[in-house]
Order: sequence, then structure tokens, then C-alpha cells
Amino acid sequence: MIHGPDELLNDYKSQIAVTRDEKELEQVRVALFGNSGAMTNLIKEIPGLPKEERSDRGRLLNGIKQQLEGAIAARLGELRVERLADIVETEAIDITFPGPPLGQGHLHVLTQVRRQIETVLESLGYQVELGPEVETEWYNFEALNLTAGHPARENWDSFYFTPELLLRAHTSPVQIRAMQRIKEPPIYIITPGRCYRRDAPEATRLPYFSQVEGLAIDRALTVGDMKGTLLYMIQSLYGIERKVRVRPSYFPFTEPSFEFDVTCGICNGMGCKSCRHKGWLEVGGCGMVHPQVLRNGGIDPTEWNGYAWGFGIERMAMLKHDVDDIRLFYESDLRFLEQF
Amino acid sequence: MKLSYEWLGDFVDLTDVSPKDAAEVLTRLGIEVESLTLVDLSQIVVGKILEQVKHPKSRNDLWVHQVDIGGGRVQQIIAGAPNAVVGTLVPVALPGTTVPNGRLVKDMNIAGYKASGMLCSADELLLGDDHSGILILAGGTPGEPLTTVIPSQAIMDVEVTSNRPDCMGHLGVARELAAGLDRPLKRDFMPSFTGTANPPGRELVKVIIEDPDLCSRYIGGVIKGVKVGPSPEWLQRRLRACGVRPISNIVDITNYVLLEYAQPLHAFDLTKLLGAEIRVRRARDGEKLLCLDGVERELAGGMLVIADSQRPVAIAGVIGGEDTAVAAGTVDILLEAATFSGPSVRQTARALGLRTEASARFERGLPPELALAGARRAASLIAELAGGSVHREWPDVYPEPQEPVRVRLKPWVVDEVLGTHVPLQDSEAILIRLGFHVKVLGDGEWDVLPPVFRLDVTIPEDLVEEVGRVYGYDRVPPTLPGRRHDRWTPLVPSVDRRLDAARQVMAGAGFTETWNPALVSGRKLEALRIAALAMRVSNALSDDMDTLRTSLLPSLVDAVALNRDRGRNEVRIYEIASAFLARVGEKYSQPEEPLRLAAVATAGNTPDSGRAAFYALKSVLAGCLEGLSAPACTYQRGAAELFHPGRCAAVILEGRQLGYLGELHPTVADGLKVEGRLVAFEIDVEPVLANSRTPLAQPLPRFPAIDRDLAVVVEEHVAAGLLLAAIKESAGDLLESARAFDEYHGAQVPEGQKSIAFTLTFRSPERTLTDAEVDKVMTEIKLTLEKRHQAGFRV
Ligand SMILES: [Zn+2]
Repeated sequence: MIHGPDELLNDYKSQIAVTRDEKELEQVRVALFGNSGAMTNLIKEIPGLPKEERSDRGRLLNGIKQQLEGAIAARLGELRVERLADIVETEAIDITFPGPPLGQGHLHVLTQVRRQIETVLESLGYQVELGPEVETEWYNFEALNLTAGHPARENWDSFYFTPELLLRAHTSPVQIRAMQRIKEPPIYIITPGRCYRRDAPEATRLPYFSQVEGLAIDRALTVGDMKGTLLYMIQSLYGIERKVRVRPSYFPFTEPSFEFDVTCGICNGMGCKSCRHKGWLEVGGCGMVHPQVLRNGGIDPTEWNGYAWGFGIERMAMLKHDVDDIRLFYESDLRFLEQF
Repeated sequence: MKLSYEWLGDFVDLTDVSPKDAAEVLTRLGIEVESLTLVDLSQIVVGKILEQVKHPKSRNDLWVHQVDIGGGRVQQIIAGAPNAVVGTLVPVALPGTTVPNGRLVKDMNIAGYKASGMLCSADELLLGDDHSGILILAGGTPGEPLTTVIPSQAIMDVEVTSNRPDCMGHLGVARELAAGLDRPLKRDFMPSFTGTANPPGRELVKVIIEDPDLCSRYIGGVIKGVKVGPSPEWLQRRLRACGVRPISNIVDITNYVLLEYAQPLHAFDLTKLLGAEIRVRRARDGEKLLCLDGVERELAGGMLVIADSQRPVAIAGVIGGEDTAVAAGTVDILLEAATFSGPSVRQTARALGLRTEASARFERGLPPELALAGARRAASLIAELAGGSVHREWPDVYPEPQEPVRVRLKPWVVDEVLGTHVPLQDSEAILIRLGFHVKVLGDGEWDVLPPVFRLDVTIPEDLVEEVGRVYGYDRVPPTLPGRRHDRWTPLVPSVDRRLDAARQVMAGAGFTETWNPALVSGRKLEALRIAALAMRVSNALSDDMDTLRTSLLPSLVDAVALNRDRGRNEVRIYEIASAFLARVGEKYSQPEEPLRLAAVATAGNTPDSGRAAFYALKSVLAGCLEGLSAPACTYQRGAAELFHPGRCAAVILEGRQLGYLGELHPTVADGLKVEGRLVAFEIDVEPVLANSRTPLAQPLPRFPAIDRDLAVVVEEHVAAGLLLAAIKESAGDLLESARAFDEYHGAQVPEGQKSIAFTLTFRSPERTLTDAEVDKVMTEIKLTLEKRHQAGFRV
């Protein structure tokens, strides 16, 4: 069938108008402008026309071509809008249906708490120091003024391999080793790590546990500086509303010595069942480093002084996450570990 | 240690100071009050028994009392004990009152008899644990509150630090309280009382210290003609409040002085001491002593004993002997007040498994001056409450009298250490309140003499502490130290923080971190044959924690078993911790403590599931190393005790073996009670961290790559790693990467052979490669594989 240009224009315009999707429209476009499309064929005929007709014919066909291309583009726009509207109208899902399990593993809660402690104290310029868990009697006791027969030794009942070799009862030996290694203060270090004491396992203590101790040695440090450091640490870990108090106590390796308490997070220090109506929770021990301990570490106590503190990572985690049995940390029950 | 608030009030005026206030002051001074029990007796009244008859109907032993409760009122009260006889004064709880033990008293009807109130026992009033009968009062007026006879009680449970033996009694604690409250102490440390009777005590009893290294002082107070009987109510009440059972006046007084002065005392029946002689000496092997608690104990050679001329009569500082004890008929006594060496008493008490009120005090090292104070106080009480004549000039063997230790203090140091200003006169006043003598020297320094009972104060820092704790550490403002330093150490990330990169990979792969105890069962390590380098604890608490682990894997397998027991089938866990390996040939030196990363995962029940899990875990391990920015490791067939011999790889990084990856040996899982297969790895992480490098950016490729797959058919035994090495060697520069992705056995390949599929990526950094170029390389690769490994190729 041979169409004249006008017929062709009208015919295809109506075809374009009734296309139902982009695929049908593409078919129409090919029928017009493809290699053997109707429009293509008409244009191919132009060179065979008498010379004087060619330019008029050319102009006419070009006008029609532009109209058809315009119609196709317009229809394409309409169809796209319809298609996108259709997508959003018909594809609603049940958003209450759960996603599949992620299968992500968990970090141990003690790792998380240790990380927080390290991060907070690093921000004050303290560096992490590590040391051996199997220690000598000298580093674990003698260097810390805990000589054999000292009545305080009872609190550090230890596991021995030989009379000279034992599992460290605290991370304090790392402090001595650090003083000997660094030699020249200022020294600002923290010593996280595992410790061991010969206590039968129960809900509040285990024969194995983890500590973080801190040590600052500098010129003219004060009890106030120690209090400020502890307060900064506790507020950073538990929130700015917490308060810290230091209570006189006794350790052979510090003088003066203290226990430090934190206000109970449940009652804000007013007293409740969880803090046994004291308003305060015991966290750890601290004090100004005993001059003999400095000497044992090779530091001159007439020139330098310092403070130190220590606490159990488990204790911090128990306070932070309301854990009531220390044994849970080392039992590896996934139902517990996956809560953190 | 239990303290009675009432008793403290003997020494310091506690007007307007509630028990709670006192507890707060003591805690802030360093004597931590762990609990405070308040016993309010103001609601209980005094009653007088007018009539007592047995309940006629009840089958239990009940007595019906008519009780005068004052104001002309008589109550009928029924009680289960017979001791409230007519005429006695008793505590009465009327209906509507709550007794200190928490019980609410109501009107009752017992088998037809009305009961309006309750007669109280000491136990019910929380005045002791005696519930055998009604508490009989020494005095009082019917109808008056019980507090007119017995004050309301407050019992503090305190924790005294080991450096303060002087605070193991009420007087020492009262001194602290007085200093904290800034009120005078009403009692001098040294009582002025001395005996007057003749002849001098030292002519009646001979005291010899044979081992002065273990006993620095021994005083033997001689008191004759005492009358043994019950102690007065107030004394019994105070003992009970502190948890001590009253026995007889003499014994009670020794206990009373122990609780007051912290000086343990012992009273011997003087007539039962053979040879009127005391020898303080080490026990001889085989000697035995029947102790006051009725137990006969065998004494070891090193233990210090008190002996008479023939035999041990007491274990020094721990417990007395039965044969020479004060009994009902005792008339003459020898009062022992001695100072024994702390470590020696501790060792003996430990060896005997017997910790007494006395040993707990001696263990801390008592000042010898305390012995005389305690002896005088006890003698005066005995004279007052048990009669008898106290002889003058007791034997007092004190070979090396305690030397006063003077401490030089630059008083301005107080401010320097505390970080706040304490006026000098305040510091001085505090020291004086605590019993120190302060002499101000010309240069402004202080010459300080601690009181004789304060052996713990020897250096200036000790004095700063005394001032600080009374001044109040709450008054020291918190500060952060900050100085202008000319030297510092730049921040080095901690090992644990660096390992967080590996933790991140493990978490992403579904592994949960565990912390397991390092002390494990040595027997178990032996059964697993990994005990050769294990360090064994000589004083283990139990044999399931007697040895340091040489590998983290057994703990992890145990943890898998535990989680299986608790209903979890698939378990993926890991741990980062040290293993402990004795140094070969140096059993007595510190062991190596390599920091390890170990993981265990359940791996189904079939050979194929185990194999798949092996490769999956291999990827996790590779991911960890990549996360730690270490170079990739290589694997060689390995052999390790815990691993399946056919499924074990030694993990090698830069030529150094890190550890093993593999399926666990079936006997391991079985021995540790886990069903099914387990895959695991355990590596040393320190060499990984040492090889960690900051990644440097590589230019992105500018030209397209060409991918080719190659299926290589070889004998079963030829490892993919070998083929890969041959491919890389023969391919030249254009090969960007090569990876094996499939292994096939079956119909498509001959029996005894397998097909391994590789995907190879070729790229040039300078131009777009043509197929012809890549074809040429592929031919080269195939030739090499044919030649080296007799390989065929599948299309
Ligand atoms: Zn609270």
C-alpha cells in the first residue's frame, strides 16, 4: 500500500496515540523510521524525482517527519509516567514481615568495656602497657612493698608454679616494668590485662579476672589530680551526672591509699536496693604511689611523684550493663554474649 | 568486725550523732562501715511477773503469766520458756508493737487462754542469739520503756584495713571517731590501774621467752581469790552485740578487753600450771593439746606455744588449752597479755584451719605497748566484777622495748600532695587529736612522734594521709594534671585496639568473641597430647583449673559443647588471648606467652560439609589478615595434634609459621563431648601485626581486562596450589590474577583424576589486549601444565 504523505501523517499519528506501552511505540517508530520504514522509503524516493520537485518534496517530508517524531516523543513521555505510576500503585509489600537474620557475630562485652576505657584514657594522654601474666615474686609483690609475711598479702592470695614464679595477682607489676623501661618521667600509662587470685569462684568473684590499672608519674601531682582523672574517666564512661568519692583505705604500694566509689546509677546517689542503700558503688582502689615503689621502679621520689589506680573490667561491665553474676563473662554462653 | 554504738559512746560523746552519722564519719575516715543494724527498744516495756502457772490444756510446755506492766495494769501473757518466774523483770512487747526481729505482736487465744503480748528473748530483741529463755532484766520499773534499762542498740559491721591493728577494738575506733567529730576522747590509752597485793607477781610465776623472735613481750598478771560466776547483764549484752557468747566473768572480761583494746588476753587457772612457770617456745614434734573448743590438735614443730614446766597449755595467739582453762572452781588466775609475731600466728592459724578473734588481731602485728594497757584494763575489771586481789609487779618479759619512731615532716608538703590548702594549725590540730606529738622546729619543719599504738606511721607520706583523711578528701577539689612538658611519647595504638580490625572481620563472618579462663585441666591437656610445655600450678584450687593452657582451642571446643547442651546447633566462636608455653629446658623461668587468635565453628556431619566449612574458614582467616593489613599467607599441608591429618594446613606468613587451620581431629571433638565435625584455626598474632603495612593506593586500571576460564584435569593428588604456581610462573606480566573456583570429580573426568577450574584475568597497563595476545599466553600456560603435571584440559 502506498501512502501519500498526508495519509501517512494521519495514519501514524493515530497509531502512536493508541500505543499501550514503550515496546509498541518502538514498533511504530521502526515502522516509520527503520531501514525500510514508511517514512524512510518516502525519503529514499526523493533523489528519483525531477530536480525541480526535490526541494519542495524534501521540505514537506521533513515537516511531516518532525511532526511524527514529536508525537512519538510526547507519547513516550506519557507512557513513562504511566509506567512509573503503575509501579508505585501496585507493588505494596507487608512491611511488618521480618528481615532475614544478619548472622553478625558479637564482640565480647569485656572487650567493649576495655575498649571504652582505653579510648577514654588515651584521650588524657595515657598509653597502654602490657606485661607477662606469669610473673616473678619480685615484680608481683616485693617491688610493691608486699613483702613476705606482710598482713596485707592475704588479699593477694596467688597461684604459684615455684616459690619464685606465680600468676600475677594484679597488673601492678606492669607499672614497675614500665618505670624501668621508660626511666624518665613523665609517665602516663594504663595496664589492662588478665589477673589471677586464689579465690573460689562465686557470683561476685572469680580466681581469674581482668584489670585496668593507671599510673601517672610527673612533677607535683596531687590527690586532686587523681580525683579529677577518676572523675573524668567515670563521667566519660557512665555519664556526666556521676560523682566519684575517694575513701581512705590501705595498700602497701600507695600512700595515701583510697578506695574509690561512684554514685549509684539507679538512684543517682539517693540510696536504693541495688546499692544496698548506700548511694555509692565500690569500683576500685587508688592512691599516691609510695616512694619506695618509685625507687623500686628506678624513679627518684624526691624529684617525681605519682598516682595510680586500678579496678576490675568485669566490675565496670557489671555496673554498666547490670550483670549480677561475674561468672557469665567467662562461661561463653552465646545467649549471654549475644546480648551485647 | 562488729562494733557497738553504745560501747563507742563510753569513749566519745555521741550526743546529736546518730549511729548513721557515726557510720558515715568512720567510712570517710577509712574505717568502712559495711552495714548498720539498728535495734529500737523504745517500744518495748519493762514488766514484772506476778504469777506463773503451767497452761493446763496445751500439749506444749507453755506457761501463763500475769504481768504487771505499770499503771495498775496486769496483762495475761503466755510464753514457751519457764525462766520468767514470779518476781522477775522482763521485756514485754504489748499488742500492736513490732519486735526488733520484725514480728508484729497481736492479741491471741491459745487453747482457750487469752494472750495479750509477748515476753521477749535476747534473740527476739536482736541483743544476741540466745533464744533459750526470756531475757531477765537486772532492774527497771514496770511500765517504763525498756530503754531505761537497755539503750537502743546500733551494731556496725566494719572493715578495718590490715595496717590498723589498733582499730580492731572499740577504743581505737572511738579515737578515730573523736578525731573525725573533733570531740575529746574520754579515755587515756594506758589505764593507771596497778595491783597492790603482795608478794610481787614475778615471785609467784616465772616467765621465760625461749623464742624471742616470735614473742616480743609476755606479761603474766597474777590475781588471786577471784569468784567465777556470770558477768553482769551490760557486759554480756555488749559481748553478744559483737557476736561473742558470754561464758563466765573471767573469760568474758578477757573477751571484753579484746573487743575494747584489740589486745587478746588469756586467763589460765594458776593452780593448774605445772611448776608455776610459763615458757614461750616452739612446739616439739608430736606434742598435742586439747583445746578450749574440745578438739585435740597435733602441733607441728614450728608453731609457737605457751607451755608450763611440762607441756603446752596454749597455742600462742590462737587458742588456749582445756586443761588449764578457768572453770567454775577457779580461784587464782594468771592473766596472759603478750605480743606474738604476726606471720607466725598467721601460719599457725592457717595450718590448724582455726582463725580466732585473737589470731585475727595478732596477724596484723600488734604493738607491744598494747599488752600492758590490755592487762591493766582486764585486771581492773576482774577486781571490780569478780573480786580477788591483784598482785603488784607482774612478770613482764620485754627484751627489746619498742623504740619510738619520729617522723620529720615538712608541713607544707600536705598542700603539695593533696592539691588544696590546709592551714598549718589545722594539720597540727588533726595530728594531736589522733594522739601524735608535734614539735615545731626552727626551720619550720615538724618533728612528729606517733602514739605508741601506731606502728604503721613511719614516713612523711603517712602523716599526710592522717591529715588528709581527717581534714576530708571530699574537700579536695578534682583537677586534671596539666604541665608544659618538653618530652612525650607519641600515641601508639594498643595491640588490643589494632586487633579490633580482626574482630570486625570475625563479627562480619558471624563469629562471636568469647573470653575463656586460662587455667584449665592438666589432665585434659594430657589426653589431647598438648601438655608437653604446660605449666602446672602447685597450689591449684581444683584439678579442673590446675594448668595454664597451651592452646586456646580446647576452651573453645568446650564452649561449643556448652552451647550445644543449651540448645544451639550452629556455633561460631573465637577468642583472642595468650597461650602459655614453658621454655624448653627452663622449667622455672617465665614462659612464652604468645598472643593468639583462635576460632572454632561447627561443620555438619559429613565429609563434604567438613570440607566446605574448611574452605569457608580459610576465607575468614584470610579476611582477618587482610583486615590487619598483613600480606596474604600461604598454606602447606600440616600435622598438628588437634587436627585431622588429612585436613590440616600450616599457615605461613612471610616464611614464618603462624599456626594451623583445619578440621579438628575426630578424637578431639569426641573427647570433648561434641558431636559432628568442627573446623578451627589458631594463629600467633604478633607476627601478623609485625608484618602489617599501611596500604598504599594503586592506580586504577585504564584498559579493559580479558577473562578466561581454564579447566585443568590432573591426578587426584595434585594440589590446586601447585597448579596455580605453575600458571603464575608461565603466564608472564599480562596475568593480573588467577583463582581456582571449582573442583569436579565424576563422569566427565577419568577415574582417579579431577578437574580444577581456574578463572584468569589478563590486562596490560599500557594498551587494550587483543584475544590473539591472550591466546598465546594461554597456550604457554597449558604447555607448562602438561609438562609439569601431565594435565589435560576440558572445554
Ligand atoms: Zn542506688
